[in-house]
Amino acid sequence: MFGIPDPAIWVGYLLALGLTLACIVYGLLNWNKGVDGEQGGS
Amino acid sequence: MSRVAVDTGLFVAITLVYLVLTVGLGYLGYRRTKEDDDYMVAGRKIHPVVLALSYGATFISTSAIVGFGGVAAQLGMGMIWLTVLNIGLGIFIAFVFFGKRTRRIGHNLRAVTFPDLMGKCYGSPFMRYAAGLVIVVGMPLYTAAILIGGAQFITSTLQIPYTTALIAFAVIVALYVVLGGLIAVMYTDALQGGIMLVGMAVLLVLTYVQLGGVVEAHTALAGMSDLVPEALAAGGMTGWASMPEFGSPIWLTLVTTLVLGVGIGVLAQPQLVVRFMTVKDSRALNRAVLVGGPFILMMTGVAFTVGALTNVYFYRTEGVIALAAATDGNVDTIIPNFINVSMPDLFVVIFMLTLLAAAMSTLSSLFHVMGTSLGFDVLRRTDSGRAAMRPIQIATIVMIVVSIVLAFVMPGSIIARATAMFMGLCASAFLPTYAHAMYSSSPSLRAAKMSLVTGTVAWFAWTAFVHVKESAALGLSNLLFGVPALLSAPWQDVDPLVVALPLSTAALLVGWALDRHEVTAEEPAGAV
Repeated sequence: MFGIPDPAIWVGYLLALGLTLACIVYGLLNWNKGVDGEQGGS
Repeated sequence: MSRVAVDTGLFVAITLVYLVLTVGLGYLGYRRTKEDDDYMVAGRKIHPVVLALSYGATFISTSAIVGFGGVAAQLGMGMIWLTVLNIGLGIFIAFVFFGKRTRRIGHNLRAVTFPDLMGKCYGSPFMRYAAGLVIVVGMPLYTAAILIGGAQFITSTLQIPYTTALIAFAVIVALYVVLGGLIAVMYTDALQGGIMLVGMAVLLVLTYVQLGGVVEAHTALAGMSDLVPEALAAGGMTGWASMPEFGSPIWLTLVTTLVLGVGIGVLAQPQLVVRFMTVKDSRALNRAVLVGGPFILMMTGVAFTVGALTNVYFYRTEGVIALAAATDGNVDTIIPNFINVSMPDLFVVIFMLTLLAAAMSTLSSLFHVMGTSLGFDVLRRTDSGRAAMRPIQIATIVMIVVSIVLAFVMPGSIIARATAMFMGLCASAFLPTYAHAMYSSSPSLRAAKMSLVTGTVAWFAWTAFVHVKESAALGLSNLLFGVPALLSAPWQDVDPLVVALPLSTAALLVGWALDRHEVTAEEPAGAV
């Protein structure tokens, strides 16, 4: 994938990109949650 | 470290603008520092974007870009697994599962430093002293390594004497840390993080453009596997676009020291944990996750990818692999050499500024944590629990002087190793204790003491007597037992963290079980 033959490497790249995306989605979904007194987001 | 021939006039002009902005932000931090809480935890009202950039810029030092990027040039793309841990553990788990609890508990207990948080969670001055001592003893080594990296870079870029570069570098950072506290540190971190983001984004794009595109660059790298030097092939290396052979010495170094050691170590870094206590609510942490994930991807992901791809560039242009293009065989020179010969002049200057920003942002945070640990956690005379700014400022100056002295006596090639060592020590000593404090409603002091002591002692013992890369250099094993390391391969290639962290976790579980057993045994007697 992407010119990288070893799955142990391209899986690492996919995970790095996927986790970055997860951080972005998490931040957007919880953008207004967690103000003092609320539990949101965790 | 770096041997970059740069347009000195242009670099000096841009650096002066950058320093004026840095000093300006430091002054802003100084003006906004009215209370002791401002100095220690930035008044607990930092903006989420500033938090994310400050956390990321502190996390990523010059050694992460140049040192670990150079390691990727040597060992290949397997380093991407460190990026996976950096984002997954260092950002997501750190912010969502540790950050929120740290902020809430730290706020409720009015904790202002990591050792203070430990001391108050466990209701134990011992925990505060012990955590403070580990920082005061261990952190100057890491700080000195960052100082060495920064001074080497300034020396080679601006052609000024090393001693002058080191002292000037330390003094400029010390000035805004000592006077402006954590507000100044985090404001300047945010500027430095922004510069780093621009620098690394441009580096990634220009590298792929140079090499003909993403797939073509990767395919070319994968096709170079027959060029792996014999010594590395014998150690288990199979190429730059593939993992080393499972269980080989190079696999063990890559996975245990670089990926696990640094990847897990970041969870219990005192200079990062304290940042969770600088925001007013969990919403700020949620928002910071959005910025932090992409930031770390653009730092380590780019450094490791470009590092590995330098092999393609040097092979096409000079007919050699990146290691052969390194100055004096030093892998730290590969990234700067690559940028020097392959990038436009303006980008060379931007990248120099990126490295300076990376070094300064990490250094300022370490200065602040060392100063607060010594002045507040270890030497505090009163039990009021309140921080007094003046003794902490004096302690900060003392720790800076200690770090500068160490920087003059430590070897120049220790930058990446010292980084990995400090992160391993922090994880071994603090991680189980920190996690227990955050997740237990009545954390066991006995378990915490056993874990902290076991983790620290095991880490030092494995470092001094088994992990041959350190034990041979330290010489203690040779002095006492006549051998550089007490155990043979593969044990001598296994990082201290891989042994010390499970031991400190086991110690915590044993101590916790003993406590629970005693409580259960006492309950019937109490009922009579």
